[in-house]
Amino acid sequence: MNKKIGFSCAYTPIPLIEAAGFSPFRILPETKAPDQAGHMLHDNLCPHVKKVLDRALSNDLPELEGMVFINSCDSMRRLADAWHEARPDDKIVLVDLPSGMNSLSLDFLSKEYERLAKTLFNWSDESFSPEQIERRIKDKIDQWNLLGDLVTKIERNMAQDYFPGYASSLQQIINTAATESTDKALAMARDKIEPENPAKAGKAPVFVFGNLLFDPKVYDLFEEWNIHVIATDFCTSSRFITQVDTQMDNQTDNNIFLSLAASYLQQAPCARTMDTTMPGGIAQKIVDRAKAGNAKGVIGFTLKFCDPYLARIPMIRQALQKESIPFLMLEGDCTMGSMGQQQTRIEAFTEMLGV
Amino acid sequence: MMYEHFDNMEKGIMGKLTQDPEGIHARKKYVLELAKLGKKLYSKNENIAWCGVTAPFDLLGSMGVTSCFVEFVGAMLSSTQTAASFLEEAENSGFATDSCAYHRAVMGAVIKDAMPEPDFIIGTSSPCTAGLAIMENFADQYKKDFFILNVPQNYSNDAIKYLAAQIEEMTQFVSDHTQRPLSKEKLATALDYHNKSSQLLKDIYDLAKAKPSPVDNKFLKDFGTVITLLMGTREGVKICQAFKDELKRRIKTSQCSASKERTRLMWIQNRIQYPFPINGMLDDLGAKIVVDELNDVTWEPMDLDKPFESIAKRMISIPFSMNSSERIRHIQNLAGEYKIDGAVNPCHWGCRQGTGARGLISKGLRDIDVPVLNLEIDCVDSRNLAKGQIETRVEAFMEMLS
Repeated sequence: MNKKIGFSCAYTPIPLIEAAGFSPFRILPETKAPDQAGHMLHDNLCPHVKKVLDRALSNDLPELEGMVFINSCDSMRRLADAWHEARPDDKIVLVDLPSGMNSLSLDFLSKEYERLAKTLFNWSDESFSPEQIERRIKDKIDQWNLLGDLVTKIERNMAQDYFPGYASSLQQIINTAATESTDKALAMARDKIEPENPAKAGKAPVFVFGNLLFDPKVYDLFEEWNIHVIATDFCTSSRFITQVDTQMDNQTDNNIFLSLAASYLQQAPCARTMDTTMPGGIAQKIVDRAKAGNAKGVIGFTLKFCDPYLARIPMIRQALQKESIPFLMLEGDCTMGSMGQQQTRIEAFTEMLGV
Repeated sequence: MMYEHFDNMEKGIMGKLTQDPEGIHARKKYVLELAKLGKKLYSKNENIAWCGVTAPFDLLGSMGVTSCFVEFVGAMLSSTQTAASFLEEAENSGFATDSCAYHRAVMGAVIKDAMPEPDFIIGTSSPCTAGLAIMENFADQYKKDFFILNVPQNYSNDAIKYLAAQIEEMTQFVSDHTQRPLSKEKLATALDYHNKSSQLLKDIYDLAKAKPSPVDNKFLKDFGTVITLLMGTREGVKICQAFKDELKRRIKTSQCSASKERTRLMWIQNRIQYPFPINGMLDDLGAKIVVDELNDVTWEPMDLDKPFESIAKRMISIPFSMNSSERIRHIQNLAGEYKIDGAVNPCHWGCRQGTGARGLISKGLRDIDVPVLNLEIDCVDSRNLAKGQIETRVEAFMEMLS
């Protein structure tokens, strides 16, 4: 079995981890470990970061060969800082992630991904020639893109009709890619691409977005609460399966890292990444996705103390209001418990949607 | 309203200056320059840029742009006790009370149309993601062009090159908006002023290290952060010179009594902005803030032949941009240089960047036997201030130190 590399941000390119001979292990904020992270950092920090740190402090982790951190937001930066204290013997690499998407940023991120690849291959027990490294990365990207294709197909089916249990299955596939391997996720996706249950009517089509919603059971709950999730935008959902545009290679001196950088920076962005040519673009993108899927409403689910989303919610609310799309904003702490507390509000919302 | 505020401030200080030119101390001169900057920002006759905290104000000034970081306005609204209505406005518009009140206050001012409309926006990824998010909100609200300077955290050659290239690109962005090209001569002059100001700042901070220290609890309040707005100008050099002269005079005339300095303190990050009698209270308890974390020169002199690279190195070097272990090392060094007895960390509510490292900073200071008082307080929003509780904790801390 491959050794594992831990990570906690969706801007971590899984093909690089797998090309170096490791398995990815996304440290999801799911733990019964006691709350200790607030003491090491601060209590008013995003629960995702705190729970991941709690797992580290309580050793609620598999054996890890190293950790990849992404400098994506203040809380993630603090998580990387705290990791040195919590697990001083771990190998750690921190990748700087630009906030903008211009050509300088792409070039810089490509160098950061190249540094990441070198670090991962250095951590590996095996040695590879530069040609082998390039081949392995390309092979893993191809495999990753196959998974991306299947995920896109599942999402397309999901948007068209409501198939009971389908959204939850998709989340299981994504979680498998994040915590086990692309291979396994690919096999699962092939198996689940055809919905197990026939399409049903009568649910409210809703677009759901936010930062983290990784528990497949949440999607079952949504169905119980009369929601047909037509599409999602979370860093734990399909945004995580970023397809890598390898066609760029010919135009960019065959630089696979530039392809990776362009694909990750130009995907549907997390709230921390922005297109300076379109300030507030995140709001329009959410409107567009809701309209494209004929959503009757939008639910935002964000973690408490997440600054990038807290600052964008007013503009998102305004953009949805302008299009007369009903919006329900929920805040939580990544647990099923916090989702359970929202049941009444979600049911009232779907009732209001009149389905 | 804001223009009048700055105008009155300027007139008041100018009046005193005319009556008694020698009677005006350095801090008043500094406030006078800030009032003039405030007036320019609100005068509607200037090219205005709202910026992130670490933007290169010397470079922007050399290009004829009046620029300022938005947190300066948040702090000013708080210090003049006018923040509450702006905070409420922002909250009513959906900005969460869990967010930083510097940003919420200034966002409220944007929504209430109490901010001058900028010509463009320059966001910086340092110090914080929340600050950058607010800059995007500014660009969205005003429908103005937006430029981001990504400040990498790893101090590497690639990082410096990347930031330097962005700064150069920014000059083109600015020129496109002002129709004025970058003048190498004007930039060289601004950087020369910056170098002179930096040397004077080093002298000021060295003088403050004396035992007893010539500073009082207000003298260098937030100085390191705010003086960056002026450092690339002749006035900035004059202000720094005035601070240095005043400290020298205080030492010469023994104005700094050892009996009033039973405890030497370090202040972590920013001060409390609204009128809160902590400085007087510390005076009464014989405690003196001899150093603020952000009052330090962490950069090399600007190389006039490599301006963009020099500015990039400066931006990456400041504590705001550091990771926690470098930041803690910096705090530990300051603690040793200033021979402090304790530190106060006002864990500003809603600050994930600074306050997020609360526990790590406490440990870092404990490692060198410096006790820390972590005050859970909002440095801008005084509406929920538990004054009595804070006072009790400060008193208990001072008792413990003595």
